[in-house]
Amino acid sequence: MENVIPPGKPAVAPSRRAASGTGGEALNSTLASKRFGPSLGAFALLTVLLASASARGQVSEPAPRPDEQFDFMNFITQHGLHDIKDESWNAYGQFTYITSWHLPFSERYTNLNNPPGVGNSLLPTSERSWTGTSTLFLGLRLWHGAEAYFVPEVVAEQAFSGLHGLGGAIQNFELQKQGATSPIVYQSRAYIQQTIGLGGGRVVQDSNPLQLGNVVDGRRLVIRAGDFSVIDFFDKNTFSGDLRESFFNMAFLTYAAYDFAADARGYSLGAMAELYYDDWSARIGRFAAPQDPNGLPLTLEIDKFYGDQIEIEHEHQLFGRAGAIRVLGFHNRENMGAFRDAIAAFRTAPATNNASNCGSRFNYYPPGTTGPDTAPDLCFVRSPHDKVGIGINVEQHITNDIGLFFRGMYSDGQTEVYSFTSTDRSISLGATAKGSAWQRPFDVAGAGFGVGWISQAHADYLRMGGIDGFIGDGTIREAPESVIDVFYSVSVANAVWLSADYQRVWNPAFNADRGPVDIFGARVHAEY
Amino acid sequence: MPSIRALTGRVKATAFAAVLAAPSAWASRAGAQQQTQGFAVERYYPSAPGGGWLAMDTLDMHGGVGGAVALTGGYAYNPLVVTDGARRVGVVTDQAFAAVGAAITYDRYRFYINFSHPLVISGTGGLVGAYSFTAPYVDAGKNPDLITDVRIGYDVRLVGHSDSAFRLGIGAQLYLPNGDRADYDTDDTFRAILRVLFAGDVGHYTYAGQLGWHIRPLDDSPTPGSPQGSELVFGAAAGPRLPIGCGGTHAIVVGPEIYGETAIQSFFGSNTTGLEALLSGRFEGTADDGSQLRIKLGIGGGLSAHFGAPEFRLAFGIELFDHNTDRDKDGVSDSRDACPDTPGVKTKDPKTNGCPASQGP
Repeated sequence: MENVIPPGKPAVAPSRRAASGTGGEALNSTLASKRFGPSLGAFALLTVLLASASARGQVSEPAPRPDEQFDFMNFITQHGLHDIKDESWNAYGQFTYITSWHLPFSERYTNLNNPPGVGNSLLPTSERSWTGTSTLFLGLRLWHGAEAYFVPEVVAEQAFSGLHGLGGAIQNFELQKQGATSPIVYQSRAYIQQTIGLGGGRVVQDSNPLQLGNVVDGRRLVIRAGDFSVIDFFDKNTFSGDLRESFFNMAFLTYAAYDFAADARGYSLGAMAELYYDDWSARIGRFAAPQDPNGLPLTLEIDKFYGDQIEIEHEHQLFGRAGAIRVLGFHNRENMGAFRDAIAAFRTAPATNNASNCGSRFNYYPPGTTGPDTAPDLCFVRSPHDKVGIGINVEQHITNDIGLFFRGMYSDGQTEVYSFTSTDRSISLGATAKGSAWQRPFDVAGAGFGVGWISQAHADYLRMGGIDGFIGDGTIREAPESVIDVFYSVSVANAVWLSADYQRVWNPAFNADRGPVDIFGARVHAEY
Repeated sequence: MPSIRALTGRVKATAFAAVLAAPSAWASRAGAQQQTQGFAVERYYPSAPGGGWLAMDTLDMHGGVGGAVALTGGYAYNPLVVTDGARRVGVVTDQAFAAVGAAITYDRYRFYINFSHPLVISGTGGLVGAYSFTAPYVDAGKNPDLITDVRIGYDVRLVGHSDSAFRLGIGAQLYLPNGDRADYDTDDTFRAILRVLFAGDVGHYTYAGQLGWHIRPLDDSPTPGSPQGSELVFGAAAGPRLPIGCGGTHAIVVGPEIYGETAIQSFFGSNTTGLEALLSGRFEGTADDGSQLRIKLGIGGGLSAHFGAPEFRLAFGIELFDHNTDRDKDGVSDSRDACPDTPGVKTKDPKTNGCPASQGP
């Protein structure tokens, strides 16, 4: 939470440093192709150097760093080598390794009517998945009010079933759509922001990843442009935002139904503005969309294809405890296929407009394969379409160390997933708690529940054997996909956490004929 | 799910295969055709962040914990043209990059890291003798997050002070492979450069140079225009340093930078040596403490035709650096120390900060 300084008082940083534009004390933390050569050695070395994010997610904004925690900036400050309250630069890093296993589960069919090796089902046999990310957050003050950030990141991963078969309840938020087991270094963020003071009380902004320590006006306009993720600044939540210290499941990263414009890694080129006015803030932005659904290259015709978002936020005190409410709306204009159109095309000419005839049209089948000739496909009907959604995000402290969160979003669900998950409507809620009550103040525990739905058109398309970017079992008995996620993070050393996690996913890929799936996970996370 | 980039690549590969169909039929009659894999074509290695020249290094680290951040960039025309005498193929005709780097300095030591982001890498591809070259295709507009080989470096000055007439140091750079050989932006192997650095300031003149060993495992010989293993790297720069502004708070340095590489297995052979020259100029702040700005620009091109030495090159750099000197070593940097030559204590009052207790400046 920002720390308002009464006029005439010196700025005093709080005991726990807060991120820009967020409300409440943070319990959580985090963020997250090309081929990479001698992979493991390079990854190990870069891991030391770099300090995470996902679209199918991999973006998780970094959490604030406590003053008492070890990190490079605190270290040099304590040695009198840096002014952390008025920074001209800063550098932070993180490393996160997550491993997950799912047990064999029951199912009535897998990739029904598809050739062997083709289809989007989660395999029913036991599988292991893992991710490793390391990120370096560099910030530099350019001139008064102007800051530049550059964030290189290295990622390596292996997903369950090629990242298929789960709707919004992906078991590991770090997974990227085009990840590989060989480490890949890429530039996750490179942007500039200008803050224009508008008066009001003075506010301390503590030194953190993506935030230079300084003092700003409580009323201010922040303009930002460059390469970053929509969810770096939209849909923040203290208790369900930066997942590297909390939940494992992507359902808690943001709204599962929030198909925010992003490339395959979760980032985009764009511009946005934020207005902070005492307890209120509002943000609006436009971002470039990928050329093809869920792809890496972006289209730069930002006047024709784009993702717009607007959010209004109010921070409040309820029974003396901090909380916040955010309402977000998005509107995407992208070259995407509508489920009803694909179904109509198939019914009009089933012999030609079926999944075996996509040819060179963009489609979701592996190279050299086709879908069944009995299924519709979106490849025949892609054209400029609009997609809209609206969501509400609530967070509330109930004690100093325990917080509750809730997110709910409704999107029209008439078109294919373009950047995030296959979910069309979603709800997530839960609680996280620091371990102060049991004398483990740096431990974190949490429990969350998420549920997602798909639209009727989406379900009809899947029932006929169609697939989208991530799901499609050959047919479907439609049901909400839901997940529980329970974790405990042990602070094993200063700024190093070891976490254990359990998840159960019901109706994976919104299909009542499959699952439930039990998933066990472990994580090592370090910050520096 | 296949990547768009991979799909695009396949479409390109298919089209390219069609284009190659006729000549490849000829090649199959002439003999076995070899498909080349690509490599890191760039042989202009920018100086460390805060290093002064575009390619050479002033080796003037000093002061307390300071550092530098640098945004560098450049464009090269025809950095890789392959010919067998009868046919000439511009495999890489246009190459542009932007790089971000940061360095931490302390006394005579420097540690740094660079991330290079290709903006454009393009060419034409084709057949040269029995070798088939595929054109690279990198477009930063569509792939804004690419990073090629990451450079990590460490330098230390062994002889001389930051302003001596002769300074000697050593340095090591490690390149972590990242990218795609087919894009001619990486060897896909680890590489390292071990260097001896020298520099000095004599009156209003300054110079710098280097001699080093580029440990490069990739040996693509006899493929024309390709790396042939480890290389000797060398270079020198010199020019006048002209103080400007009141009290010489800034300076302009103008002079040539000449640098190159030659494969050790064929020392200074005509097909293994690249030599390039830049006429470089820079404008920089000269204060020992506080943030200083340096803007540098260079124009030049290859003196001998080999990969990495382009027909034309434009290079630029913008750096912010701070030596963070503290003459009295009281923990208050000189720019904030009201008594910079007398050890003192930190206070919140700028007028007494760094002065002995109960004493003003």
